[in-house]
Amino acid sequence: MMDGAVAPLLAGVIVVEISRGVAASHAGRLLSTLGAETVLVEPPEGNPLRREPPFLPPANEASALFAFLAAGKKSITSDLNTPAGRAGLSALLSTADVLVHDLRPDERARLDLEEQTLRTRYPKLIDVSVLPFGAVGPKADWQAEEINLIHASGEGFLLPNGLAAELFPERPPLKVYGHFAEYQGGVVAALGALSALVGRDQDGAEAVDVSVQDATLAVGAFALQRFGDGSLEHRSTRSFKYGGVLECADGYVELLTLEERQWRGLIELMGRPDWMLDPALSDSLERSRRGAEINRVVRAWARELRTADIVARAQALGVPMAKYASPAEVLSGPHERARDLFQPVEIPGAGRLPVLSAPFHVDGAALPLSAGPPRLGEHQHLLTARRHRERPAAVAEVS
Amino acid sequence: MKPLSGVRIADFTLHAAGPFCTHILSQLGAECIKIESAARPDIFRKPHPVYGRMGPASFDQVASNKLSVRINLKDAKGIALAKKLVAASDLVCESFRPGVMQRLGLGYAALAALKPSVVMVSVSSSGQSGPDSHFAGYAPLFGAWGALGYLTGYADGPPVEMRHVMDHSVGMNAAMAAVAAVYRLRRTGQGGHVDVSAREVACSLVGEALLFAAAGGNPARIGNDHLRMAPHGVFRTREEDRWLTIAVRTDDEWRSLVKLIDAPPLLSDPRFQTAASRHTHRQVLHGEIEHWTMTREAGEAERRLQAAGIAAHVSCNMEDIAHDRHLRERGTVVDVEDTTGRQRAALKAPIRFSKSDVGMTRGTPRLGEDEDYVFGELLGLSREDRQSLMDQQVIY
Repeated sequence: MMDGAVAPLLAGVIVVEISRGVAASHAGRLLSTLGAETVLVEPPEGNPLRREPPFLPPANEASALFAFLAAGKKSITSDLNTPAGRAGLSALLSTADVLVHDLRPDERARLDLEEQTLRTRYPKLIDVSVLPFGAVGPKADWQAEEINLIHASGEGFLLPNGLAAELFPERPPLKVYGHFAEYQGGVVAALGALSALVGRDQDGAEAVDVSVQDATLAVGAFALQRFGDGSLEHRSTRSFKYGGVLECADGYVELLTLEERQWRGLIELMGRPDWMLDPALSDSLERSRRGAEINRVVRAWARELRTADIVARAQALGVPMAKYASPAEVLSGPHERARDLFQPVEIPGAGRLPVLSAPFHVDGAALPLSAGPPRLGEHQHLLTARRHRERPAAVAEVS
Repeated sequence: MKPLSGVRIADFTLHAAGPFCTHILSQLGAECIKIESAARPDIFRKPHPVYGRMGPASFDQVASNKLSVRINLKDAKGIALAKKLVAASDLVCESFRPGVMQRLGLGYAALAALKPSVVMVSVSSSGQSGPDSHFAGYAPLFGAWGALGYLTGYADGPPVEMRHVMDHSVGMNAAMAAVAAVYRLRRTGQGGHVDVSAREVACSLVGEALLFAAAGGNPARIGNDHLRMAPHGVFRTREEDRWLTIAVRTDDEWRSLVKLIDAPPLLSDPRFQTAASRHTHRQVLHGEIEHWTMTREAGEAERRLQAAGIAAHVSCNMEDIAHDRHLRERGTVVDVEDTTGRQRAALKAPIRFSKSDVGMTRGTPRLGEDEDYVFGELLGLSREDRQSLMDQQVIY
């Protein structure tokens, strides 16, 4: 740390993570990137995400998913089915602030890690459960993967919209790429852990129950609000009336003019064609009514243009427009570079690669990624260290 | 008690992402004071003809549970009043375009000079720094900038627009980072500035694909496919526009599925012998699965698949969600009263605590509804002072 720099937000916080899924893993990662020490407890064969695609070329050994989610964490292996494994975990938990996990209720009982047991043994520990449908309720023991969860939370039913919905009205609804819902679960679990940490000083530690379905529904709140207003949203009818996804000569852009001055900017951008100067189109409701007609012309116009040119001219005129950037374009983007969004770390089996840190700056800078993902059991020494630390504390409590 | 009780927020946010952040914090116990003016009311107070709303919203989720005061930030006395409110708060949240708070004299440096322990959370489309920081943007643009939009779509189709979930994902990340900053504040007395970039939130939702690309991989749109699992997708059922999602993770689950749908030939079909081979032949395989789902009601199929240990769920619309027994029992979906006195479904903050009871205690505030408390009790303004500021259109 540089002289004069202030401490990371979560300096001194210790998190223990027992995860198999993306949601719990993302929670541990967010807390670690914010400055906590996150210790990933893995079974002897390793965390299952180590075996999830995509794998990093050219060796195709290391999982990109695991590397992203575990960057900066520490790893110990422990077979929780054995007394020795559970003793090791116990040593870790006795000095930890947070346990984030995705153990099902039946597994918790079998491993002697139920909420009440943890409360008694580790009175200061915040126990954060992150499950597909949560730990409580009729679906608590239901099975789910990302595709089930994004549909259980309502957003799946509403996708695609815009151009894709127009082109393929008969196709099944579409999920968001990757692990959208599970990442929401991770953010909410981190929020729950942190809220309980803040509250711990006043009211003592408490347990936190997070459901990926709840978390994803929370970010879809607007659709439920619309239902209360009397509108049942549907992917075929919620598209913007004009604008949206436009195909250009070398890719796609997004165009969205919600305000009057933005529409006027679009007229300039398109070179003041006669049809746009029709006084009737100065009324936003009339534009909505004639959206299909506007789109035909706008789409034909965009098709001949190059994305970089059109976006630069649009933003200069105050017209909200962005290129649909490919991952490679994001990685080499000048803006992302200026903000240090990606930071090079060593990934075992893949070499030094840029990994996304966190989507925010704190105290005027990107959050530093301290390391890449750990090798399996790389920090096994922590177990012995923690056992030594644990004893005097236990003695002190007894005396 | 609620975990964030005792935290006070001066809330300058407008529209969706920023207000969602402070709405969540308010449900966790923070006292959130929303600052608007008659000259610049938030969007929910105005008609929204595109959504068929011709007057103010009777319920706005992200505005609810907040206190409302009027401050005209175009007036120097309004800025002075805003500073008084900041001095009485722990957290300042704002979602203007970068540079606006500085122009108003309310930038982080100015506020930290006034109150060194202040925590400020800024939410913007591209962040407070960098060459694109001045860009205007909305949710679909965040998704476009951040590769999430590029990667979402049918394999043979265009990218897909991200909608409100994108805004609210930004707000949820902002809330999470805000509480981390409150934690440090409580431990050390140190304030700070949290600068949330919406396009970076979009990136963070595809972090593994970005890393894959950095290593030379070429992540692409894959529709409802999974990189490993098959069967995996969204299937038609007997009911019109009623879809069923299924994900089969292991060989055991595959055998259970074949047994359930009573299609033993699939087990001996050479194309479906291994997980890798099922993935290669997933299009044919999905056709076989749909033969079965097409004869079933979605809900019945869902229950039978779950009973067999297979990940399955109906594709829910908001009517399903509003009445869902699981979500009701968890307290995720609750009934609230809107400003017309009507009951409607709304969402409680998506976290259950073992001791704290979080959630909404009030609905959408009227503009300026809480000025007696905020200007009178908290800031100690007399009736005459307040009347004078109203006459001058400072409280306006």
